[in-house]
Amino acid sequence: MSGYGHHGGSYLESKGSFWTNVVDWATTVDHKKIGVMYLFAIMTMFFFGGMAAIAVRLELLEPVRPIQDAAGAIVGVKGQLFGSSDAVSLEAGNNMYNVLFTLHGAIMVFMVIVPSVPASIGNFVLPLMLGAKDVAFPKLNLLSWYIYVVGSIFAVCSIILGGVDTGWTFYTPYSSSSWLGQPKVVLMVLAAFILGFSSILTGLNFVVTVHKLRAPGMGWFDMPLFVWGIYSSAIIQVLATPVIGITLLLLAFERFTRIGIFDPALGGDPVLFQHFFWFYSHPVVYVMILPGMAIISELIGVHAHKKIFGYKAVAFASLGIAGVSFIVWGHHMFTSMSETASMIFSGLTFLVAIPTAVKVFNWIATLYKGSISINAPMLYALIFLFTFSIGGLTGLPLGTLSTDLHLHDTYFVVAHFHYVMMGGTIMAIIGGIHHWWPKMFGKTYNEKQAMIAAVIVFIGFNVTFFTQFFMGTRGMPRRYASYVDEMQIWHHISTGGSLILLVGFLWHLFVLVQSLVAGRKAEKNPWGGLTLEWLADSPPEEHNFPHEPLVTHGPYDYESAVPYHWDPKDYPVPAENLKAAGAH
Amino acid sequence: MHTPSDMTPLFSLADGFWTRTWLRHPASTEVGRETDFMFIWLWWFCVIWFVGLMILMVIFVIKYRRKPGTIAPPSSSHNTPLEIVWTVIPSLFLVWIFFKGFYGYIDKIVAPGHAIDMNLTAFKWGWQINYPNGSETPTTGRVGFREIPVFYMPAKTPVRLKMQSKDVLHAFWVPDFRIKQDVVPNRLMTVWFEADGPNEKTTTRHEVVSKDSPEGKKRPDLVALSGAAYTEHLVFCAEYCGTEHSEMAAFIRVVEPSVYEAWHTAIGTPSDPIELGKRLFKTKCASCHTDDGSSSTGPTWKDLYGKTETLKDGSQVLVDDAYILESIFEPGAKIVKGYEKQNMTSFRGLLNPSQVQGILEYMKSISVHAPKSETPTQ
Repeated sequence: MSGYGHHGGSYLESKGSFWTNVVDWATTVDHKKIGVMYLFAIMTMFFFGGMAAIAVRLELLEPVRPIQDAAGAIVGVKGQLFGSSDAVSLEAGNNMYNVLFTLHGAIMVFMVIVPSVPASIGNFVLPLMLGAKDVAFPKLNLLSWYIYVVGSIFAVCSIILGGVDTGWTFYTPYSSSSWLGQPKVVLMVLAAFILGFSSILTGLNFVVTVHKLRAPGMGWFDMPLFVWGIYSSAIIQVLATPVIGITLLLLAFERFTRIGIFDPALGGDPVLFQHFFWFYSHPVVYVMILPGMAIISELIGVHAHKKIFGYKAVAFASLGIAGVSFIVWGHHMFTSMSETASMIFSGLTFLVAIPTAVKVFNWIATLYKGSISINAPMLYALIFLFTFSIGGLTGLPLGTLSTDLHLHDTYFVVAHFHYVMMGGTIMAIIGGIHHWWPKMFGKTYNEKQAMIAAVIVFIGFNVTFFTQFFMGTRGMPRRYASYVDEMQIWHHISTGGSLILLVGFLWHLFVLVQSLVAGRKAEKNPWGGLTLEWLADSPPEEHNFPHEPLVTHGPYDYESAVPYHWDPKDYPVPAENLKAAGAH
Repeated sequence: MHTPSDMTPLFSLADGFWTRTWLRHPASTEVGRETDFMFIWLWWFCVIWFVGLMILMVIFVIKYRRKPGTIAPPSSSHNTPLEIVWTVIPSLFLVWIFFKGFYGYIDKIVAPGHAIDMNLTAFKWGWQINYPNGSETPTTGRVGFREIPVFYMPAKTPVRLKMQSKDVLHAFWVPDFRIKQDVVPNRLMTVWFEADGPNEKTTTRHEVVSKDSPEGKKRPDLVALSGAAYTEHLVFCAEYCGTEHSEMAAFIRVVEPSVYEAWHTAIGTPSDPIELGKRLFKTKCASCHTDDGSSSTGPTWKDLYGKTETLKDGSQVLVDDAYILESIFEPGAKIVKGYEKQNMTSFRGLLNPSQVQGILEYMKSISVHAPKSETPTQ
C-alpha cells in the first residue's frame, strides 16, 4: 500500500508469518526498520565491547607477575584474567591483555561509536524531522547496513582466530611486522576498511536527504539542531573516511610489492602512517561527538520547552567544529613530530575548544527561564553536560605542549577520551534512545526505574574514569598489562567503578525489555516536542505521514506554538504570542 | 628559566597539596617544574569554569522546573553582546595557555649546547645507553619481578640522549622529569634533561664497597659509587610495542657529578687490564698505530714490547715499560729511525695510571718478546 494520502498501518505491524516478517525486515528499504536494525546490531557490539572492557579492568586488579616458590622457581602467574594458580607463561598473560584492550578499542570505535547515533537514531529520526517519507537513497541505506554486518563479521572472525594485539590504531611497524604471519591482522584491517564504506554511504545519504527532502516551508534555519549535527558529521564521514581506506590499502600495497611506505625496514616512514591514520581518525572523533551534541540540543530544547539559546551559533558551531576537525590531527603526535609542526597543531587544536565551549554555554543558557521537566532523557542531557565538560576541559592540558609531553600516552589520555566518547556520545545516545523510544516502538518505559539506572551509570562512570586522571598524572602509561605496586589502589577503585557501570547498563536493558514486553501504549507526543517526528504516530506509519507536512513554526518556538497533539489548555500560549508568530 | 624561589607568588601553586595529589611530588628538573606550574594552573582554570557552569546548571534546573499548566515565560533566546563576550574571553585565555605551553615545550625540547651526549637504543623490550666512552651500565635493578638496567646520570648537568629504535616504535618517558619522546626506527630522536642533585629528602645511599674487597676488585664501578647518595627515577616505554611493553622499564639514578665522573671512568675500566688496553688502543691509538704488524703512521704494536729498536741517532733502546711511558708522555724524546717526520701528540693528562697499565699489558699480550713471567695472572 502506498500509505500516501490516507492512514496506513504502523511500520512495526506484522506482515504475516514469522518467515514473511524476517524476509520483510531483511529486504526493507524503510529507514525506520533499518534504523532499528542498526540499533540492535550496534547494541550487540556495545555489549561485546563492554565485556572486553570489563575483562580489561578485571585483569588490571593485579599486575602480571610470576608466582615463585621458596627456591625461586616460577610456579605460576598472577594478575591474569583466567585463574592465577595455573602455570601459564607471563607471555601468555601479557598477550591476553593486549588482545583484550585491542578488541575493546576496535569494537567500540569502529563498530559502536562511529555508526552509533547517525546510523540508528539518525536513520530513524532524521527523515521524520524533515517531514520526508524516507532518506534520499533507501536501497543504499540497506546496503550500508549489510556492509556494516559484513565488516563486523570480518572483525569477529579475526577474534575467533585468536585476536589482534596491535591496538585499534594499527601503528606501523608493529602492525605490519606481523602481517604475513597473522591473517587475523589482515582480517581486522579489512574489517575497518569495509566498515568505512558503510560510514561513507550513510553520510552521503544524509547529506543528500538534508539538501533535497526538507518539507515545504522548512528553510535551513528551520531545521532542528539534531539535523544540523548529523549533517555536519555526515560531511566529515564522506570527506575523511576515504583517507583511512587509502591508508589501509597502502599498507597492503607495501606488504605485497615490498615498496617502502610505512615500514622503516623497507625505507618507509612510520610517522607517515600516523599522519594518514589521524588525518582520518581525528575528524572521526567529531563524527562520534557531533551527533551526540545534536541529541543534547534536542533533549534540552524539548524537555525545557525552550527555544535553544543562540540557535544559529549552535548550528554554525557544528559546522565550525567539522571544519576545524580536519586540521588538528597532529595533536596525537606531539612526541613524534618536529617542533614547528607541534607548535602549529597545538595552536590549531585550541581553535576546537572555542565552538565547543560556545555550545556548552548555549545549552546552559537555554535552561534559563525554561520549563524544565526532569525525566530519564533530560537527566542524561544533564549528565552529558557534566561529563562532557570534564572531557572538554581535560583536553586543555593535552593540547598544551609542555603538559602534553608528560601526559601523552598515559591514563590521563584514556580518562580524557572516555569522558568525551563515553561521557559524551554514549550518554547522549542512551538519553536519545529514551527520548525517542516511545516514537520508535510505541511503548512507554518505567520512568522512575530508568532514572535510577541513569544515576547508577553516572556514579559508575565517574568512579571508573575520574580515577584514571590521577593514574595518568602520577605515572601510569597506557596499554600496560602490568604496573608498579603503588598504582594498584587506583586500579582497584577504577575496576570497582566499572562493575557499578555494568550494573547500571543491565538495569537499563531490563527497563527497556520490560517496556517492549509490558509497556503501555505511548502517546504521539509525550514530551511536547515541536519537531515533525512528534506529529507522526507512535510508532509512525509505514510512510511516516499521511500527508506531506507543512512547517508553520520553528523547531523550538515554545513561546508561540502549541506542541502537536497537545490540548491548548495544557499548554496555554498567550493569544498575542500565537498571533504574532502566525502559528496554527 | 627560574628556580621556584624567585618565581612569582603564583608559582607557589605548583608545590602544594594539589601538586602532591596530582603529580606525587614536584618534578625533579627545572623545566619539569615549569610543566607542574602549567598543569596546576590549568587545574584551577578548569575547576573554576566547571564548577561555575555546574552551579548555574543546577540552579536553573531547580528554579525553572516545570509547573503543570503553565508555560515558560517569553525570554530572550539570543543576546549578541553576551555571546561575543563568552566567545572572546575564553579565546584570550586559550591564546595565553598556548604560548605558555609552547615556551615550556621549547625549554624541554631544545638542549643546551654544552649538554653531554649519550646514545640510547630502544628495542623489544629494553633500553640501552652507551655512555660517552662507549661503555654500558653494568648495574641492574628490580621493578616488580624484572631486572632492568640502572642508568647513572650526573646531577645539575644537562644530558642529551640521542635515541634510536632497533625495531618498532617506543617512547622514552621519565615521569619525574615530565619529558617524553617517541623513538622511531630510522630516525634520530633526541631528548634532554638536567636532573636535580640527590638531596637529603629523596636520597638513598649506595653500599660501601672497598677497593680491596673481592667485590671491589671485580667491580671498580661499585667502588666509585661506594657510599654515594643517589635519587632514583623510573623510565617507562610509553608507546605500545607488543607483548612485554609493560615490562620495558629502566631506572635513572642521579648522583653528584664527581661520583658520576668516577663511575663513568670505572665502567670504562674493565677489571682485565688487557681488555682495557685493547679498548684504549681502539679509541685512542689506532688512528696511527696497528696491532697486527701492518705499517701505519707510527710503529706497529705487534711484537714491539721487549724488542730492541734503533733510534734516529743510531743508538739502540729496549722497548720496556720505561720507554713506552716516556713515548706516551714525551713522544719527541726518543724517536725510532724511519719515523723522524712524525709528530705524535703527548697524552700527558689524558690517561690515568690504570689506563697506562692497561696499554702496557695489551702491548705485552701481543708481543712474542714479552717476558712470560710478567703476564698478569688475574
